[in-house]
Amino acid sequence: MTVTNSLLAKLISRQASCRMVFGAVIFALSFGLMGAAKLQAAEVNIYSHRQQFLLQPFLDAFTSETGIKTNVVYASKGLAQRLQAEGEASPADVILTVDIARLSEYADLDLLAPVSSDVLNANIPGHLRAADNRWFAFSTRTRIIVTSKERVAEGAISDLEDLADPQWSRRLCSRKGSHVYNRSLMASVIAAHGEAVATQWGEGLVANMARRPQGNDRAQAKAIFEGQCDIAVMNHYYYGKMLHSEKAEHRDWANAIRLVFTNQDNRGAHVNISGGGVAKHSPNRDAAVQFLEFLTKPTAQQLYGEINFEYPVNPAVSPGGVLQSFGDFKRDELAIEKLAELAPAAQKIIDRIGW
Amino acid sequence: MVATFLSSWAHVRRRRSDGWSIGALVLCFLLVGPVLALVLTATGSSDGLWGHLLDTVLFRYIGNTLGLMLGVGILACFFGVTTAWVVTRYEFPGRLVFEWMLLLPAAIPAYIVAFTYTDFFEFAGPVQSQLRMMFGWAQPSEYWFPEIRSLGGAILVMASVLYPYIYMVTRIAFRLTPASLFEIALVHHKSQFRDVGLPLARPAIAAGLALVLMEVVSDFGTVEYFAVETLTLGIFNVWLGMNNIVAAAQISLVGFVFILSLLGLELYARSRQRFSSTTSKTNKLQPLVLRGRGQALCLAICCLPLVFGFFIPVGVLLKFVLTGQAWANLVAVAGVVTGSVSVAILAALLVMVISTLIVLAATYRGGDMLRRMAMLASTGYAVPGTMLAIGVLIFAGAIDRIYAGLVGDGRASLLLGGLGILIVAYLVRFQAVGYGAVISGIRRLPDNMMGASRVLGNGFAGSLQRVILPLLRGSIMAGGLLVFVDVLKELPMTLLLRPFDFETLATYTYQFAKDEMLEEAAFPALMIVISGLLPVILMNHMLRRTD
Repeated sequence: MTVTNSLLAKLISRQASCRMVFGAVIFALSFGLMGAAKLQAAEVNIYSHRQQFLLQPFLDAFTSETGIKTNVVYASKGLAQRLQAEGEASPADVILTVDIARLSEYADLDLLAPVSSDVLNANIPGHLRAADNRWFAFSTRTRIIVTSKERVAEGAISDLEDLADPQWSRRLCSRKGSHVYNRSLMASVIAAHGEAVATQWGEGLVANMARRPQGNDRAQAKAIFEGQCDIAVMNHYYYGKMLHSEKAEHRDWANAIRLVFTNQDNRGAHVNISGGGVAKHSPNRDAAVQFLEFLTKPTAQQLYGEINFEYPVNPAVSPGGVLQSFGDFKRDELAIEKLAELAPAAQKIIDRIGW
Repeated sequence: MVATFLSSWAHVRRRRSDGWSIGALVLCFLLVGPVLALVLTATGSSDGLWGHLLDTVLFRYIGNTLGLMLGVGILACFFGVTTAWVVTRYEFPGRLVFEWMLLLPAAIPAYIVAFTYTDFFEFAGPVQSQLRMMFGWAQPSEYWFPEIRSLGGAILVMASVLYPYIYMVTRIAFRLTPASLFEIALVHHKSQFRDVGLPLARPAIAAGLALVLMEVVSDFGTVEYFAVETLTLGIFNVWLGMNNIVAAAQISLVGFVFILSLLGLELYARSRQRFSSTTSKTNKLQPLVLRGRGQALCLAICCLPLVFGFFIPVGVLLKFVLTGQAWANLVAVAGVVTGSVSVAILAALLVMVISTLIVLAATYRGGDMLRRMAMLASTGYAVPGTMLAIGVLIFAGAIDRIYAGLVGDGRASLLLGGLGILIVAYLVRFQAVGYGAVISGIRRLPDNMMGASRVLGNGFAGSLQRVILPLLRGSIMAGGLLVFVDVLKELPMTLLLRPFDFETLATYTYQFAKDEMLEEAAFPALMIVISGLLPVILMNHMLRRTD
């Protein structure tokens, strides 16, 4: 470093106009070094696809229980590539994400370490964790159909397959098909009926659209409230969030819709997960495992229900009062990895039908 | 003896000139590195995905992307050039205020504007509600209203916030046009605007337009929200939906090729034109005083882009801030502002120093090779932010591995995980902005300026310092300002590359905006605008003093 410094000093004294450049470069480099020197013990570093404000209550509870500090980077996409580029030098300990397709991207890229933990094994049912213990689910969500209370009779629609029925022509709305939630939904239909039938179903669905697919799940409830359409699909927790929102208009949207758990007389409702794992090169492995275990314990499992209206994975923890008020429902028993496996095929169908 | 002296002098001269060119070349290579990393990624196998893309979505993606480029290009040019002409050429009430206000839309992230427009123009928004009340309609089926979430909506939104890139450089070009040329036009009954102002400002307009189009090609937030299927949207479908990053990198290079061919076309069209004047300082351009209809027209021209690019979005944000509980996170936001602004200032300084060095070396020292490299080094802007961030990650990862090998510690890292990588990413992305500003400034300088200074006994560095740099000052400051606001609102790269628990205003806003929680997002979004306000006013004041 001293050699470099004296070299820099020489260069700087030689050329006045270069002085600023080198000063700035040194400044930038020292920032970089600062970042690299940050690692300490009793910390857990989290790469998260969930926003910080959703995560914060869990982090606070974890720190107050264990004294372990948490550091977070939140990003919606590309964290797997960051982890990959960082390789051995990565500071990341824990990966948190939603949707099995994103979770298995990490597994496919070999970025997760197997974890053998009796606590995790006891708290998470076998079908909600990877066979090789690289990823674990911490909560589940189901994608439901919602209908206008005013304009669609109760029981008029019950299965996902019904969405393609021509009787609902120009009455459907949805977010874009290529969103990960809809992609997984399509994957579940492929798993149930095969690609040909799924394509036909998708074509019928698109033909029934009242407007071009747009907005997020919540925006679909709003569209039903405003009378732009009568039927939509959404993740169930949006209903809970709107129903218990501080904003009066969100409660209005929720009150305008009826919730339909799909396919109750056959395979059950499509279920997806939020989950995570320990990074392959985690520098604080013990703390990382402790954090995952914490997420499956009753305190955290109840938080999932209270904060985001998601279902706990731990069978010993009962869903909160709000979730119970939605009623019990039958779940699709499909092995959850299948959804990730079929995602590329689902995206191709979505491209073809223009959802 | 004399011969030896002469030959060693020539040797020294050659070496010194090489020093400048080599330095610039090295910088260019570093800036191109991340884009090259993407190109390398794109050489992998895409598992036959292109057949599927060609059959299904590719032409839709390309059509929409070209449509968006064309629409935004035309509208942004209209906004940018007319306003620049009016504020430099005419005197009308409020001219001095419009001069800097017209820059403000640049400080608002396009995707935030998209949110606010949706709120403003959708079924439940004030415009349609008012219309329904006026005409007694009740149902959406009773009337037709243009869908804001559409290609047209995206064009309006993007042109309204991107036109300042054109306005800024074009205004400087108009202002530096010698008054004598306009007088000649008057004498010969030619249009001052069409026959003098416009052709002379063409390099500047082209430079600004290039930035606008690059921004259009790389935008993700707006097109995602409006569900316009452009190439960028396709990139993410292929990458995240089909786990195929190779094909994603390949698609992002398609957009890149669009931009390169446009730049090439403009260069070719301009190759035989040179406009520069040696007498620009002789008499200063005096704005023409207008009355009545002329004044009203000037006001209308200046207000139109401001209404779309500033008043509507800021009004909607203000409404959310005033009606919501946005004040609750005042303390959190204050901390974020400091980090955000310091990073933006640092990045703006670095970008301007580096792009000035590169342009100067390429113009006065290097050959065609260096000039082409300099252009190539400023194309990071045309790649969608997240993809460029992945390029930066691969590139920085390679550097870190070399560093770790040198130090002998596998866990050592120089760039990744720190603020350093973020700064590098900003340099790579916004080099285009700095380059565009400086190159449009230098093209206006007479060729013989450097020669004259050298003849008068100044060395090369001395000539730069005493003659060239002072003349480029306005352009450099303009570029620095644009980089500053650009960094302030940059989202995808900051989001992915930042260190633990580091927030900028853009990332802080996004965590709420992602879930369409506009009330929570409004306050930090407004802070982005306010943080951009002071430097805009300051810089404008300094710009005014330069001539």
